Amino acid sequence: MHIDWWTLGLQTVNALVLIWLLGRFLFQPVADAIAGRQKEAAQMLADAKAAKAAAEGERTKAEAEAARLADHRAEAFKAVEAEAAAAKSALLAKAQAEADKLVASAKVQIENDRRAEAHAADARSAELAVDIAAKLLNRLPPDARISGFMDGIAAGVRKLPEETRAALGAEGNPIRLTAASTVSPAEEGAFRESLSKVLGHAVAVDISVDPTLIAGIELAAPEAAVRNSFRADLARLQSELVHHDTDNA
Amino acid sequence: MIHSPLETSTLFRVGPVGVTEPVVVTWAIMGALVVFAAVVTRKLQPIPLRAQTLLEITVSAVDDQIRGTMQVEPGPYRAFIGTLFVFILVANWSSLIPGVEPPTAHIETDAAFAALVFCATIVFGVRSRGLLGYLATFTEPTFLMIPLNIVEQFTRIFSLILRLFGNIMSGVFIGAIVLSLAGLLVPIPFMALDVLTGAIQAYIFSVLAMVFIGAAVAGETQETSANQVGK
Repeated sequence: MHIDWWTLGLQTVNALVLIWLLGRFLFQPVADAIAGRQKEAAQMLADAKAAKAAAEGERTKAEAEAARLADHRAEAFKAVEAEAAAAKSALLAKAQAEADKLVASAKVQIENDRRAEAHAADARSAELAVDIAAKLLNRLPPDARISGFMDGIAAGVRKLPEETRAALGAEGNPIRLTAASTVSPAEEGAFRESLSKVLGHAVAVDISVDPTLIAGIELAAPEAAVRNSFRADLARLQSELVHHDTDNA
Repeated sequence: MIHSPLETSTLFRVGPVGVTEPVVVTWAIMGALVVFAAVVTRKLQPIPLRAQTLLEITVSAVDDQIRGTMQVEPGPYRAFIGTLFVFILVANWSSLIPGVEPPTAHIETDAAFAALVFCATIVFGVRSRGLLGYLATFTEPTFLMIPLNIVEQFTRIFSLILRLFGNIMSGVFIGAIVLSLAGLLVPIPFMALDVLTGAIQAYIFSVLAMVFIGAAVAGETQETSANQVGK
């Protein structure tokens, strides 16, 4: 076997040159690129870890904030509930008071209505009684409607004050009498005589007829009025009946 | 016509220097590798394309092998080991090109690379341990082993030369014989086998180079391991 030493030398030089060239153009740039990428990946990983840690922190903060909001909401809900309960109680109390007031007012109204009804019923009853009495008394004979009533007029005039009695029929002014039926001249004279005796001076009388008196006589003068008739009695009786029932109610 | 693989044909002469075919093929392979590497690495992309990916896979594989075999960081040894592997691989596979005889099928090329491994072992060993430290490795495990350790330095280099030369040359020789005897398509299985053999021989040559250099820089290995444990 023959070894070409020139070839051996040239191949050695070639190998050295190739080692330098590939180290310069292949291995070093590629290794640098790989190292750079690994460094960049490591940096990205570190950034990702940092971002993850930051995100974890943010999540913890968010959870704490959520818990705080939940507590705040619960407290606000309790406050609203308490406020609603208070408002409910106040509304219920107010409604109860208004209801009580309405009930009391209704009771008063009902009582007033009942009283008014009772009063009206009493009035109607009294009116009915007076009507009944008037109809019954209308059956009296005409002479019975006057006789006997003059004494009452005389007693009434006697009870008047002295000054009033002195003024009645003075200076020739006739005393106006109203009778329930026509008065005979005898009865007119009896009336004049009776009044003159009671008043102490002679008087003249002017007699008019009013059937609505039912029975009796009434004296009407500017100074005084004396009534002694069934109409006046029935009116007084009706008034007393009505007032008596109203007072009793 | 079959040339003897033990002979090198001189293509031309430059003065007294005869430029043989293995040298010219080596220049062609060198040119192709450097141009390809320069073109691809001229503009490296953050997201690598196919060619860049191929180079990155190659560099990463070389680095992993250096770390695994020598137990050191690959930086100082990457270019040397990587060039050995890449050139021997491409040279072995150059036999697939019709009419091209791989440079590694000639003993001068294998001897040149083995001589570089021998020198690299000494250089890296001295740089790592110092001259006395490196010489002290010949006394291990005892002084009695000094002659054997010295002889081993040469015998393993010869072993390196002959292993690569024998495997590649025999592949080329067998292919030529089969081609001359059987015809055009019959050598194809043998060529496929040569592809596998070429890759394995490139790997073995590189790994043995790493083992030799790693044994020479074992002190650095221990120191590096201690630093890594310390970290």
